[in-house]
Amino acid sequence: MLTSQSIGRRAALRAAAAVSVLAAPRTLRAQPAAIRIGILQPVTGALAQDGELGRLGATLAIDALNAAGGIKSLGGAKIEMVFADARSSPEAATQEVERLQAEGVSAIVGGFASPICLAASQAASRYDLPYIVDVGVADSIVSRGLTNTFRFAPGFGSFTSVAIANLAALIAASGKPVKTVVLVHEDGLFGAGLAKLMNAELPKIGLEVLETIPHPTPSRDMANVALRIRALNPDLVIPSSYYNEFVLLARTMQQQRIRPKGIYAVLNGAASNYRFVKEFPEAANLVMDCNHWFNPNNPLALTVKKQAEAAGKFMAYNVPLNYSCVGLVADAIERAASPDRAKIIAALNTSTFAGHIMPYNATKFVGGQNQGAIPVNLQVQDGDIKVIFPEAVASAKPIFPVPA
Amino acid sequence: MKISSVIAMAAVLLALVGVALFGPNTAINFLVTALIVALAAQGWNLLGGYCGQFSFGHAAFFGTGAYVTAILQSRYGVNAWIGCGCGILAGAAIGTLIGWLSFRAGLRGSYFALITLAFAEVLRIAANAAPITGGGTGLLLKLDMRAANFQFASRGTFCLIVLACVLAVLALTTWIARTKRGAEFAAVRENEDAARALGIDVLVTKLRAMALSGAITAAAGCLYTQYFLYLDSNIAYGSWISVESLLAVIVGGIATPAGPIIGALALHALGEATRLLAGRITGIDLVLFGLILVAATAFAPKGLAGLWNAAQSRRSPRA
Repeated sequence: MLTSQSIGRRAALRAAAAVSVLAAPRTLRAQPAAIRIGILQPVTGALAQDGELGRLGATLAIDALNAAGGIKSLGGAKIEMVFADARSSPEAATQEVERLQAEGVSAIVGGFASPICLAASQAASRYDLPYIVDVGVADSIVSRGLTNTFRFAPGFGSFTSVAIANLAALIAASGKPVKTVVLVHEDGLFGAGLAKLMNAELPKIGLEVLETIPHPTPSRDMANVALRIRALNPDLVIPSSYYNEFVLLARTMQQQRIRPKGIYAVLNGAASNYRFVKEFPEAANLVMDCNHWFNPNNPLALTVKKQAEAAGKFMAYNVPLNYSCVGLVADAIERAASPDRAKIIAALNTSTFAGHIMPYNATKFVGGQNQGAIPVNLQVQDGDIKVIFPEAVASAKPIFPVPA
Repeated sequence: MKISSVIAMAAVLLALVGVALFGPNTAINFLVTALIVALAAQGWNLLGGYCGQFSFGHAAFFGTGAYVTAILQSRYGVNAWIGCGCGILAGAAIGTLIGWLSFRAGLRGSYFALITLAFAEVLRIAANAAPITGGGTGLLLKLDMRAANFQFASRGTFCLIVLACVLAVLALTTWIARTKRGAEFAAVRENEDAARALGIDVLVTKLRAMALSGAITAAAGCLYTQYFLYLDSNIAYGSWISVESLLAVIVGGIATPAGPIIGALALHALGEATRLLAGRITGIDLVLFGLILVAATAFAPKGLAGLWNAAQSRRSPRA
């Protein structure tokens, strides 16, 4: 009896000591409450690769912000990431928004795919919870009148008009006769919609569309498409497909020695992906794309690129976009000087955030869309992805037509 | 029904209503998703469980209900409640049509399962390409939280409505099983030729089951649309809902009135629990979920309802 009592007392003393040691730092340096930001990305399911890259971008941004002293207007409050897996589906994303709301986040960043962004931002709008779309390009995301939803990157409409204008400039600058085009597209709305638009717009810049070739996603063989391209012998091939199909097409064209004067993709999953460039350098060489990209002249962007590579990942556009979007929110919280959602939304509406790593003009939100956001044109050159348009941020001159 | 079963069911019902009224939004959200799947599974159970026609393509009904509701509202400005009614009727209609086309051709068993899968896939591809469904970008319903719009500021209200639908179908299923129609369903399930010999019009009986099953699963689609306010071809006609509705029935207990509800709740609870348990390792919850599912089907082949019944009869062996 005596022994057990004395042990009990010792244990109690030990516990008390432990508690006081644990409690000490709190009393010594009174930390302001951390600001929680929800990071919503699809890290399981079909979009897992993109989701992981998005998570990496957000993580790097939060680490950098905390290392620089957190939110200064809130006494150096640290930013705490609350991660949510959107599981590549809109209803899972909605579920996670509910969880993030319960965890008391001040804003949500992410979504990646348009359907996820649409559903999640709507769920967040029930709580007036600020939602920053990282990638989702569907124009409907910012045309619904939701006051909580902001998109830092450009949308589909902006992409298509810029892509066609830059193509016209590219052809004019080359001084070479480029007359004929073959469109290859996946048969969903993304590819089909783009092909329809191209069919209407390309004749206006003096190009003749020889044929529009649809293919389903997934496709396991592109030989027929490649052979058709060989028979038509166009000056230019414009593909709008997803990653696997485009890689397959580019490889088949390379094997069959089909060499048009150029391959010009729009919002193509592969042509602006380091994985494609590293795995199939010859097939990828000199392919052009109009897409999101970081500013290659921004030293911070190059630091983030090094960090991403150190983490064993490629610097796809998801990384800089999420990095910038987290910065955008942190800047808004800094100016709002409060974790209050209405104040953060007001601060986002008046944002002129310049600490991002994208090649954008001055940040200005109108109806939730950043008016300064611009798509860029890229080209694979010497095993690297170079920006060729707009000239202000270009890291290389376009090589067009492709030398025989 | 045994007293213990009634008490168990009343307790579960009370718990569900309690969650809907007082639970946190995350719990309500979980419950709504699980109950919508339960409703779709009840539709599957009526056709697959009671009438013996195994379908792999209940997405065809779910998606039709969902799309009709969404299109009527977003393109033609029809009231949401009327839209849902039309969605349910459309589900019954598409059920009858698919049934008529396939049963008339004498398709049974695995052939019927395959043709339903094909119908769902055809609808998915058509919805992905057609402009009226919004194609790949999908359809979005405007957030306008008014009861007249079938949208509620409180998630609990919507949860109670879904729960009411599930209970109504539970009552309907229990009632049908005891009527002449139910006996006809069972006769067709057990032996089609014998049923025909008894003077049962097999084609009409199967079509009845298809129409009813289609309507119930379409109702789940309508509720899905009203809750999430967003649809695309993969959500509406994707194989996920076909798989979930038949999985819920198989796990819960095939051809039992409460089986689909038990199955859907158990599967979704398991999914959430593994996610909580698994913690930080991405995707490990899915592995765990799969393992538990394999174990469950191996050790409880008659579903959870079967397990409950077995436990009951063990306790009172003479009953």
